[in-house]
Amino acid sequence: MGQDQERQIESTGLASSSGKSKYNKRLALNYLRLFLVQLALISILSVLMMLKDFVTAYSVFLGGLIYLVPAGWFSLRVLVKNKAQTPRQIVANIYVSETGKVLLAVAMFTLVFMLVEPLNAGALFVTYILLQITGWYLQLKLNQRFLKL
Amino acid sequence: MAELLFIAVALLLGLSALAGALGVSLLGGKFLEGAARQPELVPLLRSQFFIVVGLVDAVPMIGVGMALYMLFAG
Repeated sequence: MGQDQERQIESTGLASSSGKSKYNKRLALNYLRLFLVQLALISILSVLMMLKDFVTAYSVFLGGLIYLVPAGWFSLRVLVKNKAQTPRQIVANIYVSETGKVLLAVAMFTLVFMLVEPLNAGALFVTYILLQITGWYLQLKLNQRFLKL
Repeated sequence: MAELLFIAVALLLGLSALAGALGVSLLGGKFLEGAARQPELVPLLRSQFFIVVGLVDAVPMIGVGMALYMLFAG
């Protein structure tokens, strides 16, 4: 995309600054709801697992945190603390945020596997995968516009 | 046996990275194409781009998690 085209997009105000467009606001609210639903889900699961044994309970909670912390950081960076104006800056911002998200998840996985002992790895992975799946489902459910595209 | 473990971990990490990179870069390219074709849709495209990036990296991240488990706890 040429510089002129980017300048034109910026000057017409189509690529809104500071991530304050109505789409972004609505999306940020949806993501906050999604985050809270998932946090409630892992809390309930952990409490239920506490009835079985304590190791499974904290493994479930750690699996949830490994998903939620990088995802929350990514959403915060892209939707709230975003100063990108042109399409090129938007793409760069999302690439950088995505890299940070992956690195954060890798660091958290590594720290948990190295430092937490004993650990129920099955419970951790099941919670992580469960949160990914609920994330897909809730995103599609909450974002009605996405379904129409 | 340890060598096989390292090869498995390397394959898991490498293929996950490749899959994630391909998915996200294709998305970025399509976003720029869409923005160039219809600049008035940039805010909407940005939202959809953000959502789909979140969906694309899910499966590679599960692979990365399994690889790290094999490496550190296995």
